[in-house]
Amino acid sequence: MTPNAIAILRRHGPGLLLVLPALAAIGFLYAYPLLRSVIFAFLDTQGGVTLAHVSRALAFYGRDILFSIGVALASLALIAVVSITIAGYLTLGATPWAVALLRWLYRWPLFIPFIVAAQTARSFLSRNGLMNSVLMELGLLSPAAAQSLLDWRGLILTFAWKQVPFVTLLLAGAMASLDRATIEAARNLGAGRLRCLLGIVLPQVRPNLLVGLILSLVVIMSVLSVPMMIVAGNPTMMTAMMAHRVTYYGDYAVANALGLFSYLLTAFAAWLYLRTTLAREVRR
Amino acid sequence: MKRLALAITLAPALAAGHVLAQTLNVNTAGDVNMVEYINDYLGPKFEALHPGVTVRALGTGPGDAGSQAIYEKLAAQRDAETWDVDVAVLHQRMTGQMVREGLLAPYRDEIATGDLVSAENAEVALGADVSGYVMPMFQSQVAIAYNPSLVATPPQSYAELAEWVSEHPDQFGYNGITGGMAGVGFVFGWLYAFTDMAEEMRNGPWREDAPQEWQDALAALREFNRHVTLTPGNAGTLDAMNRGEIAMGPVWMDMFHAWIDDGRLNPDFELLILEPGMPGQPMYYTLPARAAEPELARAFIELATSPEVQAEGIVGMFSWFPGIDAEHVRAELDAETWERFYADVAPEILAERGVSMPQADYFNAILEAYELHVAN
Repeated sequence: MTPNAIAILRRHGPGLLLVLPALAAIGFLYAYPLLRSVIFAFLDTQGGVTLAHVSRALAFYGRDILFSIGVALASLALIAVVSITIAGYLTLGATPWAVALLRWLYRWPLFIPFIVAAQTARSFLSRNGLMNSVLMELGLLSPAAAQSLLDWRGLILTFAWKQVPFVTLLLAGAMASLDRATIEAARNLGAGRLRCLLGIVLPQVRPNLLVGLILSLVVIMSVLSVPMMIVAGNPTMMTAMMAHRVTYYGDYAVANALGLFSYLLTAFAAWLYLRTTLAREVRR
Repeated sequence: MKRLALAITLAPALAAGHVLAQTLNVNTAGDVNMVEYINDYLGPKFEALHPGVTVRALGTGPGDAGSQAIYEKLAAQRDAETWDVDVAVLHQRMTGQMVREGLLAPYRDEIATGDLVSAENAEVALGADVSGYVMPMFQSQVAIAYNPSLVATPPQSYAELAEWVSEHPDQFGYNGITGGMAGVGFVFGWLYAFTDMAEEMRNGPWREDAPQEWQDALAALREFNRHVTLTPGNAGTLDAMNRGEIAMGPVWMDMFHAWIDDGRLNPDFELLILEPGMPGQPMYYTLPARAAEPELARAFIELATSPEVQAEGIVGMFSWFPGIDAEHVRAELDAETWERFYADVAPEILAERGVSMPQADYFNAILEAYELHVAN
């Protein structure tokens, strides 16, 4: 070893040793399985390269892929609107007891597992479920007009119900750490609370909102229990079809090919996020 | 007398049990109730007869995936001297493959209860010869559950049902093929009814071009699906019936009985099996070829398939149909339990209309054809 190399090792060695466990964990538990599943999506039984699995995935589950993207985007839109509303009220609300109550209430779904949320949604949103029963009791809905929401609507509502607290937590935290002076100034100059939220507060916490939504997208694309329990038949979320492929056919290849489309979608979201944050870093 | 015979056959194993502490590893595919059955009922019973023996039950998950997991576990130990599974409880599809690959040992002729079963599926599993390698633990059967207060005279055949749903839209519900085997079984029955290939599908041989002959049946099923409610899962069908959203739907008969016993299902609901037949399947007790405790494993299976245990445990406690022939079990059951159990579907109807699942290649081909032509 040259003296130069020894010097480099001395300088960086301890640092390398420190990050090694983390690197190894990412390598073995994340990068390796990811790479493996991508590669196996393109291999046939003899080990040759093939597009058959991808085209099979498209022929069988093309509609489910589009459905998943649609449901994910609609859920994110709903999550964004509700989270901004709650976080905005927590920051700008003028009734102390209402703010305290909301602050106490909104986090609850965070502690409830997806599978429980799905089961609750199942008994709440079905045709003769709790929601319709209450509406009928109140005379707001006739029994004949009652319909089940256990389809794409049920998915969007359940995903939103589960993810709103998470995004709100990020947003409300970011809003609380803002310089109150900007808000006070806007209020003094006569801006209403809504105007203040949309014009002053929201632009300052946009990156936090984006992070919350992207993490929610990854969660939505990976949850299996919710589509399994809520949606009957097809189209449904990709995760349910991947599980189906494995359980019924032992067919990991097409399941991997379906996984590719999930990666593509989340990778696109990650790229969008990096682009906006990096652009901001550069401006600074 | 039978008990005496059993006691005599168990005596050597019993004596051996005194010598040293042993563990019997039982791996079972299927739902949690399979593990419960062994942990809560069969295991303690066996341990009481064999002091020093501990029965350790491991569940590997529901459906064929559970059997697949056991297969992978044994295949991985192929070259080891002994394997860590002494008794494997398997579905039909995987059993055939495991017999072919030499992962299981024949044992039926060596146990006293071996001749208490005469069902065809104790010899052939989805087209594969498994004679001697298996004892059915219990039989499950897909049937149609219906609510008599909504349907006074239910349709009795697939053809009548197809007509009925067009007159009663959304009143029939099932879970397609992605939400559990009750829906899958219903679809198999549909193809048995509306193609002339039922025999071929059940017994093979497999033909590559066979799926092309199903086009009419699949188109009719697609039309049928327009008039039915799709439910999320086997339990989803029963839930929807409970809530009055649907009047009929395919269910596993054992699940139906279990739910009624638990007070989770309206006890007025009834069952029927559509003509020409609906599929069912047994779970098999099998003995891995290099089990560490083959003697104990055989004694365990012998106990599990004795008329007494089949009556008390399988029928009485878990509401499954017995794996051994019903006539041997009847003597052990009181008349009331027997009547209640066979009230809706008489044993003769069960024998006539309870048919096997398709042979493994047809099994997959039918599911894929459904996905492409019916659900897509």
